[in-house]
Amino acid sequence: MAVTLWIWVIVVILGLSIGTFLLYKIEKSGVERWGASGKLFK
Amino acid sequence: MWYIAVFALYLLFIVYTSLASLRKVESLSDFTTGGHRMGLMIGVGTSVATWVSVASVMGVPGYLYSSGVAAIIGWVAGWFFGTALIPIVAYKVRRPKSPARTFPEFIQFRYEPLKKKSHLRTLVAALMVVGYFIFTHLQVVGFGIVFSSITGIKYEIAIFAFLIFLIFTSIGGFWSVAVTDSVNTVLIIIGVVLGAFAVLSATGGFANIFDTLATTTAPTIEGGESLSKGILLTPAGTFGLGALFSIFISNSLGAAVSPHWVSRMLAPKSVKVAIMQMMISMVLLVAIFVPLIIIGLGAKTLIPSMPIGQTTDYIMPMVIMNFAHPLVGAMTLVALCAAAVSTANSMLLHAGTSLYYDIYQNIFKNKKKSEKNSRNNLRLTVYILGVLAVLSAVKPPVLLAMGFTYVYAGFGAAFFFVVYLGLYWKRMNALAAYTNIIVGTSVFIIAKMMGATNPFVIALCISFVGVLIAIYVGKKPPVEAYEPYFEVEVSENTEAAIREVRNEEIIVEKMKPAKIGNG
Repeated sequence: MAVTLWIWVIVVILGLSIGTFLLYKIEKSGVERWGASGKLFK
Repeated sequence: MWYIAVFALYLLFIVYTSLASLRKVESLSDFTTGGHRMGLMIGVGTSVATWVSVASVMGVPGYLYSSGVAAIIGWVAGWFFGTALIPIVAYKVRRPKSPARTFPEFIQFRYEPLKKKSHLRTLVAALMVVGYFIFTHLQVVGFGIVFSSITGIKYEIAIFAFLIFLIFTSIGGFWSVAVTDSVNTVLIIIGVVLGAFAVLSATGGFANIFDTLATTTAPTIEGGESLSKGILLTPAGTFGLGALFSIFISNSLGAAVSPHWVSRMLAPKSVKVAIMQMMISMVLLVAIFVPLIIIGLGAKTLIPSMPIGQTTDYIMPMVIMNFAHPLVGAMTLVALCAAAVSTANSMLLHAGTSLYYDIYQNIFKNKKKSEKNSRNNLRLTVYILGVLAVLSAVKPPVLLAMGFTYVYAGFGAAFFFVVYLGLYWKRMNALAAYTNIIVGTSVFIIAKMMGATNPFVIALCISFVGVLIAIYVGKKPPVEAYEPYFEVEVSENTEAAIREVRNEEIIVEKMKPAKIGNG
């Protein structure tokens, strides 16, 4: 049971990390059309 | 009585939101992808509701009941991993100033932008029609199970009630789907949380559920083979490691490139909104799946074996109707219907759009039709497909969750490199795209028919070799094919190519010969 739940938790953390990294890349690009606003999660 | 009353209220809500959303539909683009102006909150609502289908709310508890916690790895973690990979698609596919309106249109933009009629686009659309028809069929099956449980009407007749929902959800196109989806998401969360509390109360808590799972040998179906003691708590469960890995990888890599998710990533108003939409959806989905896991595992304590003649897809409505207060039961079962309706309307829109917009209009490009005419034809196409899906559901051939896994595996085998290499490698060309689709699909079908444990991985490996050969043997793609996904601004030639593909009535300068990219 613990193994299955850990695999799920790791996948969720991975997903949020990938998303955050891509948001950072958008901010770094500075392209407003892509959503760059000066704030990572806005 | 509670069940009928809550169900009637839900139907009224669907009618109201569908009619209200009609006002938002002004163009064909509005109908297919909401005009690429979807905000974050409604995007989250529609993503979660589309994500949560009958395969999740009925199929997964069914497999938790029959195979134990291994279903968490195969389906829950598998689908979440797919969701984790979708932002990687969104990061590129939503970049262009004029994004594609459908997945097959994206395929033409990326691989055959200079062709008046794209055979690749037609091929992709045809595969989508098949895949989404099967998906819709599965939703109708789930809807029929719930509706027959609530009303007592025979399943074969209950499935026709789905058409009432379809009339309304198909008229408004994307906005109708998106708005009803958002409220469906709230209903699903409330319904499954209430259902989980009801199961915890009926079982006496987590400790009793774990005790049962650790000790039970009761067969899944009455009179069937007894389970090994403790197998329901092992990571591989009753599947075995090879089969479980196959399910996990099909659900994850297949879901990540499924056309409906790529299309969903075209609708938000920016790349950032698309990515955040999936991140927030993932968190909300945890709130839906924890209760579903409790219900699926708890069911083994409440109903040790299913009656003969019923599949494990029935376990969720059975538990709720027998062990929850009627009001809680009604809300949970309406949540199941919401999951079926919200996914089915989205899948039907994809199937209908592929058939009408990407196949019919692609083949008969010269037949000029007004926007209104096109929208009405698209509505009719969606409705006809819905009727066919209902007729096909009279005798369901597979279990809900496994049906989804097969379709995801098929999509993954056909489109994995088409999508990921297309978005991240300039040299990915049309020949390689054809190779991925034809070789991937064929190998997957043959391996499946030969009884391979992991047909998806076999198809992926063989098609990858074919794709690499095609990339180096075939012609380099023209700049117009990859520029929108790799550059912030595109050349006039690329803009002209996009207008040509869309058959837009703008006077386009005669295009210069296409430049060949450096890769």
